[in-house]
This record gives sequence, C-alpha cells and structure tokens, in this order.
Amino acid sequence: MSRATNTAAVHDLPREEPLRALHVVPRKGGRGGPPSRSLKVSNARVAVAMLLVAETMFFAGLIGAYLVFRVGSVAWPPPGLPALPLGVTWVNTVLLAISGVTMFAALRGIRRGDEAVLRRGLLWTALLGGVFVVVQGSEWVGLVRHGLQLSSGPYGGTFYTLIGMHAAHVVGAMGWVFFVFAMARRRAYTAKAHDAVEACAIYWWYVCVLWAALFALVYH
Amino acid sequence: MSEAAVAHGHDEHHQGGFVSTYLFSMDHKMIGKQFLLMSLFMMIIGGLLALMVRWQLAYPEQPVPGLGWVPEPYLYEGIIPPETYNMLFTMHATIMIFFVVIPILVGAFGNFLIPLMIGTRDMAFPVLNMLSFWIAAFAGVLMISSFFVEGGAAAGGWTAYAPLSAAEVYTGVGLGQDLWIVSLVVLGISSMMGSINYITTVINMRAPGMTMFRMPLVIWSLFITATLLLLALPELTAAMAMLLFDRRFGTSFFLPETGGEPILWQHLFWFFGHPEVYILILPAMGVASEILAVFARKPIFGYRAMAVAMIAIAFLGWVVWGHHMFQSGMNPTMGMAFMTTTMVIAVPSAIKTFNWLGTLWGGSITFQTPMLHALAFVSMFVIGGLSGIYMAATPVDIFIHDTYFIVGHIHYVVFGGSVFAIFGAVSYWFPKMYGRMMNEALGKIHFFGTLVFFNLTFFPMHIIGVGGHMRRIYNPLQYEFLQPLQHWNEIMTIGAIGLGLFQIVFAVNFFWSMFAGAKAPQNPWNANTLEWEAPTPPPHGNFIEIPTVYRGPYEYSVPGMKEDWLPQAQPGTGVGVAH
Amino acid sequence: MLPWLPENISTYGGEIDSLFMLIFWITTIVFVAVQGALIWFLFKYRAQPGRRATYSHGNNTLEIAWTIAPSIILVVLALLSRATWDEIKAEIPPHDVTVRVYAKQFNWDFIYPGPDGAFDTADDKTIENELTVPVNKVVKLEMLSRDVIHSLFVPVLRFKQDTMPGRQIDGWFEATKTGEYEIPCAELCGFGHSGMLGHLKVLSDQDYATWVGEQWSN
Ligand code: HEM
Ligand SMILES: [Cu+2]
Ligand SMILES: [Cu+2]
Repeated sequence: MSRATNTAAVHDLPREEPLRALHVVPRKGGRGGPPSRSLKVSNARVAVAMLLVAETMFFAGLIGAYLVFRVGSVAWPPPGLPALPLGVTWVNTVLLAISGVTMFAALRGIRRGDEAVLRRGLLWTALLGGVFVVVQGSEWVGLVRHGLQLSSGPYGGTFYTLIGMHAAHVVGAMGWVFFVFAMARRRAYTAKAHDAVEACAIYWWYVCVLWAALFALVYH
Repeated sequence: MSEAAVAHGHDEHHQGGFVSTYLFSMDHKMIGKQFLLMSLFMMIIGGLLALMVRWQLAYPEQPVPGLGWVPEPYLYEGIIPPETYNMLFTMHATIMIFFVVIPILVGAFGNFLIPLMIGTRDMAFPVLNMLSFWIAAFAGVLMISSFFVEGGAAAGGWTAYAPLSAAEVYTGVGLGQDLWIVSLVVLGISSMMGSINYITTVINMRAPGMTMFRMPLVIWSLFITATLLLLALPELTAAMAMLLFDRRFGTSFFLPETGGEPILWQHLFWFFGHPEVYILILPAMGVASEILAVFARKPIFGYRAMAVAMIAIAFLGWVVWGHHMFQSGMNPTMGMAFMTTTMVIAVPSAIKTFNWLGTLWGGSITFQTPMLHALAFVSMFVIGGLSGIYMAATPVDIFIHDTYFIVGHIHYVVFGGSVFAIFGAVSYWFPKMYGRMMNEALGKIHFFGTLVFFNLTFFPMHIIGVGGHMRRIYNPLQYEFLQPLQHWNEIMTIGAIGLGLFQIVFAVNFFWSMFAGAKAPQNPWNANTLEWEAPTPPPHGNFIEIPTVYRGPYEYSVPGMKEDWLPQAQPGTGVGVAH
Repeated sequence: MLPWLPENISTYGGEIDSLFMLIFWITTIVFVAVQGALIWFLFKYRAQPGRRATYSHGNNTLEIAWTIAPSIILVVLALLSRATWDEIKAEIPPHDVTVRVYAKQFNWDFIYPGPDGAFDTADDKTIENELTVPVNKVVKLEMLSRDVIHSLFVPVLRFKQDTMPGRQIDGWFEATKTGEYEIPCAELCGFGHSGMLGHLKVLSDQDYATWVGEQWSN
C-alpha cells in the first residue's frame, strides 16, 4: 500500500466527492428513504411529461400520414367531397380554449387551498369538454350527410381518424377530470399536496394545444 | 406511493396473501419475475413454431413427426400447408420479438434491476408497474388466441406489409390479423406504462451519490431503451390503428385502389422498426458490459465512451429506417442518404465491441456460465454487425435483400446477441432473484450446446442467402437454382433441433435450481454494484438501509487494495480497507 | 468469387459482385482480427494465481483510433457503393426493348408492346411467366402490381425490384449470356408466394427475331 498507488487509485475515481456533488442529502441517522424530499421535479410531473411525449409520437404518426396524403394530392378536398365547416369549429375551438382557462382556475384554487374553486373549475372544464365533443359529433353528422365517410378515400379517412382520435383523447381526459373531481369531493387534495390535480391539468392543456395544432392543420 | 413503499420497507413478517404476493404484486422484483416466466413460456411457443418452419424447409411437404393429430386446416395429417406455413413464421417472429426478447430484457431485468442497482426501494409507480405486467399478459393471450379463430393467425410476416395485411382477400386471414394488431396495440400501452415508470425512477430516485455517470451501464442501457420504447411504440400504435381501420372500417391509408399508399406503411413501420431493433440489443449490451467487467475483474474499458455510444445509437436509430426499403422503389437519392446514415450507425457498435475487448485485455478472467454467455454475446454480435455492412451497401443489398442472408443477420444479432445476453443475465442475477445458485455444470453444458448448435443453425443462412435463397418461401424445391443448396437446409434443421433440445437443459437447470440450488451468498460474484448490497433474496423494499454511493460501478482490482473489488457503497478510498 | 454466388449474366452484376467481395474481404479480416484477439485475450488473461488484473479505465487515444478507423472504412464503402447504385437505380440508359411487368397473386404477366412499340394498343401481347429478351441489349422493365407487393428477382442478373400496386417503378438490365433462368418472387405476397416463378429467356439476336416473328405473325 504505497502512497503512489494510493493516489493513482484516487485519481481515476470520478472527481466529485459524492455528497458535495449532489443536491440530495441523505437523512441524518442513516435510516435512508427515497430521496424524494429534495427532488426538483416531482415524479408525477416527470411521468406526465413522458406521457405527453408518447402521445406526441402517436399523433406524429397520424399527422405524418395525413401530410403524406395532403401534400401528395392534387386537390384537397378532392372534387365531390365537402370542405370542412370552419365557423362552427372556430366556436368549438374557443370553447376548448376556455376550458383550458377554467382548468387553470381550478388549479389555482387548490394551490390556495380553496377546494370549492377546484371543484367548480373541474366541473366547468369537463362540461366545456363535453360540449366540444357534442358539437363535433353534430358536425360529423352533417359531414356524413354531405357524403364524407370514413371510406371517402384518404380525405375522409385521415379526417375522421385524426379528429376522432383527438376526440377520444378529450373524452379520456374528461374521465380523468371526473376522477380528480371525485377525489376532490373526498377532500384528497390540499394546497401542499395536489400533484394529481396538476398532472390532470397538464394533460388537459396538452389536449387543448393539440387541438389548436390539428385545427390549424386540418381545417385550413 | 413512495411513503407506502417505505412503510413496507422491512416487512418480512408483514406478508400479504398469495394473491397480493404472487399475482397482483406491486413489488418490482416479483413483477420482474412474472415477466421472466411469462416470456420464457412464450419462448417455448415461439421456438416450437420455428422448429416447424425449419422442418418444412428441410423436408418440404412431409408430415411433421408427432403432429399427425393436429386438425385441418392447420395441418393435413401432419403436413404443413402454405397458409399455415406463413402463419408459423409470422407468429414466430412476432412472439420472439415482442413477447420474448423485449419482455425479458426490459420487462424482467428492467424491473428487477433498476431499483436495486440505483439504490431505491421500488419503482416510482408500483401500481402502474403491476398493471403494465397484466396488460402485457393480456396482450400475450390475445396474440396466442389468434391461432384459434376462423382463418387462423396473422400470415403477412412480422412486418405486416400492406396491402397484403390490409385486406382479408389477400391472405384469407380475418380476425387473426385483427387480433395481431390489437394485441400489439395493447402491448404498446403496457410498454408505455413501463417506460414512463423506468424513466421517472432513473431520473428521480437514485440513491444519494448515484450520479448519472456512476450508473452501471446496464442501467444506462435500460434507461435509453425505455426512452426509445416511449418514442417508438406510440408511433407504431398509430400505424396499427390505421391498418385496423383499413381492414375493418373502410379507410384507405394503405389500399391503393381507393387512393392509399402501400409504401406509407413501410415508412411508418420501419420508423418504429429500426429503433425497435436497438431496443432489442441495447439492454443486451448493458448486460454484457456488467458481466464482462465482473468476470475480468477489471473496470469497464471506456465507460463514458460506452454510455455515449449508446446515446449516439439512440439518436442515429431514428434516421436509418430507409435501409429496410432499398428495393421498395424509393427515390435512389434517398437510398444513398439512408446508406450513409446506416454506415454511420455501425460505428458506435464497433466502438462498443472494441471497448469490450479492451475490458478483457489485462484482465483476470474466469469462465463461469454468465461470463461464457457474455463472451458469446460479443463474438456473435460481431458477426451480426459485420453482416449488416453487406446489406447497408445498397448495390449489394439489391441481391441479398429478402434472402436468407437477412435472416442470418437477424438471428446473429437477436439470438446471438440478445438471447445469449439473456442467458447470461439469468445465470448472473439468478442468485439475487431466487436466492440460490444455478448449477454450473448444467449451465456449461447448456452454453456449449447452444453455442455450437446456434452456429450450425444460423451460419449457413448466410451461405444460402448468397446463393439467392429467398426468405419466407414455403418450398425451396420449387426452384431449380435452389436445389444445390438444399442440403444446407437439412443441416440447419438438424442444428435447430439440437438447439431446441439443449434448451431443455436450461429449463431443467432453471427450475431445479430455483428450488434445490445451493443457497446463494449475498454477493456471489464479488461485484460492486448496489444490488449486491441488498440481502439475498431482497425483501420488499430491497435495502435494510438505502446505500450511499461513493464511486463508479467498475472499481475492480484497484491497486493497493487487498480485495479486487470495491463496492459502490463502500466509504473511503478502499485502499487499506479490508472488506 | 464465392462458390455459392449464382453465375452473373448482367452487365452491372460484376460491379455488385466485386463490391460484395470487397466487403467480404474487409469483414473477413475484421472478423479474424476481432475473434482472434478475443480468444487470445481469453487465453492470455485467464485468471492465474498471484496475478492481478490491470487497473485501467480506458485510453482516449485508442478510443479515437477505433472510432476513426471504422468510420473511414465505412465512408469509403459508401462512396464506392454510390456509383454502382446510381448506375443501376438512378437513370435508365437508352434501351432497345421495353417490357411491362404486371405482378399478381401468384404470377408474372409480361406485356410486350408489339411492333408499334407502344403499350395499350391492339398489338400488345401478354405472356404469363415468360420474359423473353435479346442478349446484349438494354431491356427496360416497367413494373406494376395488380394486388399486393411482389418483388421481381432475377438472381443471375443481380436484379431485384419490388413491384408496388398503384405506382409504376422502372428498372433495367442487359443480359450478356443466352439461356433460360428463373424469376422468383422475393417479397411475401400470400400463400402462393413460394412457387410464384417465371422464366427469363435470353435469346441471341437471331433467335429473338424469330421469336418476335412467331409472336406477331398475324
Ligand atoms: C451494426 C450495425 C447494423 C447494420 C449496418 C444493420 C443493417 C441492416 C440492414 C441494411 C437491414 C435491411 C436489410 C434488408 O432487408 O435488405 C437490416 C435488417 C435487420 N436488422 Fe440490422 N443492422 C445492424 C445491426 C442490427 C442490430 C443490432 C439488430 C438487432 C438487434 C438488427 C436487427 C435487424 C433485423 C431484425 C432486420 C430485419 C428486419 C426484417 O426485414 O424482418 N440489426 N439490418
Ligand atoms: Cu434497421
Ligand atoms: Cu411473392
């Protein structure tokens, strides 16, 4: 155990001293635990971010297919098929945007510890989401009457698939909102502990932003 | 959730019932074992399908021995009809890729190793983890059930090229192909849940002192793999949805008569598919790195280069998909671009290989079963990587595309690479998983048998591929130019039967050792990483006390020390400290 | 040349084969070097009493060397591939004969334009599973499919091209030797994929003229 070998060994070890390099400090007394106290980003936030990444890849696949057909076609909509109704959809878009705001209100409510505001905000959000889906449904009925079907070539197929998948996500997100609402009624959240509300809100906003992108892409 | 995990930290005496311990367990270790057992079972099915394929190729249209009882229209007095033959290779590949290699490497070892090796008590979301297993199991049931529906199982190849796969008229397969699609979508959901869990756990729950660049390479590889899965599978899910809509709801994404684009499927599929092949190999690379360092008693050569090479592969993997489509009629300029990126992505693989050799150089190597498998991994992976270069060279690919050369390549990387790594991983971590050692003699018999018969089965594929032997053909004797190659088909089939038989040794060893193997010490291989700090087998909650990490994972043979290993969790420089 | 490689009878097949052989030698050398080093290390550095493993975390010079060396080899291969690839796939040279190929489950329809040299006219002639061409002439193929994807594969020509429903893909070859050869389908196309087999007849100029005469006699 000469001095020389000793320094050689230390030299090749990673440079940082373990404790200094970390923002995580082990608990005194050594009865360790998950170092969650000093996390910068909560598990819930990381997980939701990852979920959104996955969702984005899913829609990237669908949008990619849509673009292939749209860019590759001579006329869009192809002759004989109806254009998409812009007016109603604008209104619908605004409704969804408002739902994003009510979701924000709900989240702000619970951040202050105001559970009533949280519940009200969640209900409004789900309600607006519901109206959005219903309006979209009626729009579809109209389009089908005008002869636009799933089987109307790529124009019909991509439209219903892409927009339908988004609608399914709205419905799924509504389910999540209702779940959070039910938990809120059981007083599950406080000003300090409401990761689940936040996760739900982030997802809801994602669905709204996704809609904006699809609206710009598909309806124009 | 994490609070609950802590509360259950030391609860040997606080056991739940059978259902919560073995079925709906939320303990990452039990979930890992569930994945392992499910996948090994699927491996038997996938293997038997492959043997039937091999039988038909060597002895076309002769009855398969012992299968005379299988009813029509699957077999005709043991004779495989072409429709069934197509189902056999389609389902073989699908099962092996999606229900064997990924669930073992990612599902079983990802689950078992990540919390143990980064030093935490469980995954970030144990409930999600439990669900991800049961959803995967459900996907498996869907996939297997597709054999028993009217029209049989999917028969369009694992790549499911449209329009063959997009309309029932082309194959006669109806519900079976739909089930195939739905099963993979369900599996995609499971793998998304798993990936989210792994990524969150690795980012947020590392033990004190466990910086990213102190993580063992196998954790790096699983982390990167989880990212790839998270990105790739949803895109496949989108493609699958479109395919299903084409089949059932009259859309025309891939059907040309009504304006669809068949080649769009190929782009969507391979955009997922190439990252997918790295999903199959990256964790195997990680496993091999662990084992090589431990049994060579040396620090891994070029730790950072190894991690960075994997990251590079993960990025480059997204821009090479076109190399599967050189003969699809794509723009020749695109072909050149994809050839270039493909050549580039071969470089990190080469770097890794050289670093493994560097790890062996100057080592003090012992040859227990895990090491033998890891060495075979390196050796076989080299062959698979080199054969990749032939196909990457576009003009050469004109000739060998869709021949057995490709099949040889696939099997050298996925069997020679991933499956050898799986065997290595099982024998290496078995003591921690089940608290007992696997039998070394049986392990060696299995290893050498597998190595010999593996090469006998798969190496000649390159030869007949060079001879022009197409893949996915039912009867090579229908072609005059293939007649002189037929003896190879017989040799390969004999090899495959031997390969199958030697797996029985593995099964016997696995189950026998599980119940009757020698009791394993806490750290049987004198390894540094954190899983060996936990009791054997680790209780719910893993560690008596969460370890603190002081150094990288590969401090073997540090000069001046008495011992030749220096655990990550041991304080001090180690010099002069008796372990 | 490897004994298993089918004989080559196309003008560009030789280039493919020499590229193949070049890669063969490169990969063989790498293979022997790597596996040799592996085995040698396993022997030389096997555990022996009293000897300790070398404590080393790596070597940056080596890392750089073995990053650059394969890169150079691969770039060279890419460059060499480029010329051949462009010759075969990028542009069709001036051609003497044009044949339209319609693949379908599970046959090849070869459509000849007839004396007027134009397709979709009355004198077109469809011959199933038989492609007859003159030797030493550039033949252009217009490939289509009636149903699913197939792949026209002529091993002796080193020719392979998928046929896609809904789009026409052109290809070409020039055969240098008369004879009869097989045309398998290389892309899975259904239960009859195996055995979807045509024949290529390469005829001398004289025989070809006779054949044309017979086909379009009336
Ligand atoms: C070292 C670098 C590699 C290169 C240059 C390479 C190149 C290629 C190319 C060009 C093809 C397409 C061949 C054709 O269809 O004509 C291919 C197919 C394939 N490769 Fe690789 N590859 C490499 C490594 C791997 C690895 C590591 C894996 C998996 C673990 C893998 C798995 C596959 C599979 C499964 C296919 C066939 C897919 C199919 O058509 O069914 N490859 N490879
Ligand atoms: Cu690939
Ligand atoms: Cu075919």
